[in-house]
Amino acid sequence: MTEIPLEHVLFLSCILFSIGFVGVISRKNTLFMLMSLEVMLNAVGVAFIGAGSAWRQADGQVMFILILTLAAAEVAVGLALFIRMQRRYRSLDIDELNEMRG
Amino acid sequence: MNIATMENATMSNLLGLNELLAIMPQLIIAFGIALSLLLIAWQRSQQMIALFTKTILVFALLLSVNLLAVETTAVTILLKVDSYSIFTFILICLSALVVTQLSSQFLKSHIEVHDEYYVLLLLVVLGAGVLVASDHYASLFLGFELLSISFVGLVGYIRESKYAVETGFKYLILSATASSIMLLGIALIYSQTGQLSFAPVTEISHLQMSSFYAVGMLLFLVGIAFKLSLVPFHFWTPDVYQGAPTPITLLMATVSKVAMFVVLMKCLFSQSYFVSENLVQLITLLAVFSMLIGNTLALKQDNIKRLLAYSSIAHMGYLLIVLLVSSQQNMAFAWQSAQFYLAAYILASLSIFTVISICEHQNKGASETDVQLSIDSFKGLFWRNRALALLTIIAVLSFAGIPLTMGFIGKFYLLSHATTGQLWWLVAALIVGSGIALSYYLRIVFVLFDRNENELSVYSYTSTEYVLINVFILSGIILGVFPDLIGQFIA
Repeated sequence: MTEIPLEHVLFLSCILFSIGFVGVISRKNTLFMLMSLEVMLNAVGVAFIGAGSAWRQADGQVMFILILTLAAAEVAVGLALFIRMQRRYRSLDIDELNEMRG
Repeated sequence: MNIATMENATMSNLLGLNELLAIMPQLIIAFGIALSLLLIAWQRSQQMIALFTKTILVFALLLSVNLLAVETTAVTILLKVDSYSIFTFILICLSALVVTQLSSQFLKSHIEVHDEYYVLLLLVVLGAGVLVASDHYASLFLGFELLSISFVGLVGYIRESKYAVETGFKYLILSATASSIMLLGIALIYSQTGQLSFAPVTEISHLQMSSFYAVGMLLFLVGIAFKLSLVPFHFWTPDVYQGAPTPITLLMATVSKVAMFVVLMKCLFSQSYFVSENLVQLITLLAVFSMLIGNTLALKQDNIKRLLAYSSIAHMGYLLIVLLVSSQQNMAFAWQSAQFYLAAYILASLSIFTVISICEHQNKGASETDVQLSIDSFKGLFWRNRALALLTIIAVLSFAGIPLTMGFIGKFYLLSHATTGQLWWLVAALIVGSGIALSYYLRIVFVLFDRNENELSVYSYTSTEYVLINVFILSGIILGVFPDLIGQFIA
């Protein structure tokens, strides 16, 4: 089995992370923004697992499990906010949320 | 550290009595959260849960005060309790107590029973407690998220409010983005150093070569800067400050900022980062921009909460000065300055937000849920209520750093720190920034004495509010005149 260099894993995760980040800032629909956030978090997970296996430690995987928990908690809060947003504005468009100015 | 040695480490670190005692305040908060859930299941009553929350906070506070003399204890590899973390936890508990008091006033006007609110509030305190004691990226991450996610719930808590969904959503998206950026930074750092604890890395010269490490450090700093709302990353702050319920704005201005700053300081200092020239320059830039832009943007604000948001951006900029130590020797002094400045900042924030919260209560109509105070609503406050006006003046002058207030001593610490480190750019920015700040702080003071209004109804308040106001006035004056009283604790 050929070994995959750590740099490749890190580059992959950075690319995934950028895709997610672009998604968050360019999407108008809040549901897609939340999905892009998940992409970002999982990109970080790839980096942690790659680094953990390069150092032969369990720490990377432990961090990944913590990240999974975080993602679940964030989605739970996010979905609750969606429901309230849908009720109030009848849409999930982020541009509806611009009442505060100054 | 491979798995075998890690097992060894955890075996030898089995929690002894000393370690348990050191994290007792945090444990009490955690225990209180579980108990309050049980309490909710048993009986739902607003007064009871508020009283319970206050009791838990007072217990944690008293225990922390007792622990102040304890020497540095490492609790497993995750947490390290030292006098700095205990002192900041005292500040956190104090602000949480005031927030609880203001909230129980604030929520009284709503019909529902707000149990979850208090549970979330305790969760925020627990998150901050874990953050200030953390000595490992994993515990930093856990505390960070505990704090952020509970805040999302609190920020959008009042369902009837016009701004609730917008504020909650903005905060959720931005804090989630910030935390994933910070996590990517941690992952990159870990990939290069092979350890997640804050302990200094042995082969630092080799690591400086690695660009992954530098990028990781940068991303980590950006993630924290989001939370501290330093200048290029500050856009969420005014909106969230304005839209959140006033007690929660106070919680965000005090607990979240203090905990984030202390953990950043712990992390950077224990890695003796100052050997890296780039990082120092980056922090200098962040500090200068935050001081100047924060203060300038505050000038044109009318809404009082937005104004305080911009002023808090500037204050975090001032505080960044202490991060720029030139050598190991200056660290103790840096900690001392940071603790004093944070204490002054917290006392002033607590005072001004108490005033805002009481005024909001007075201006609120029967059917309204949103009251937005502008500076003009403070007009003639002196003629309505002398004590409130006095408290406002003390708080605002302390923010501005006028002599005989705590804020002046705090700024003095920062200035002497900057001059010993010969950071002339920062000194200049601090002076210019404070000059700009004076113009909007003094505007608030002048408005207080404006007597042009026709009818000035006298503001009344409850007895607890009366006690709160007088305690803040007294401590503001006494600590301003005798700053040594706090100096003993942090020396």
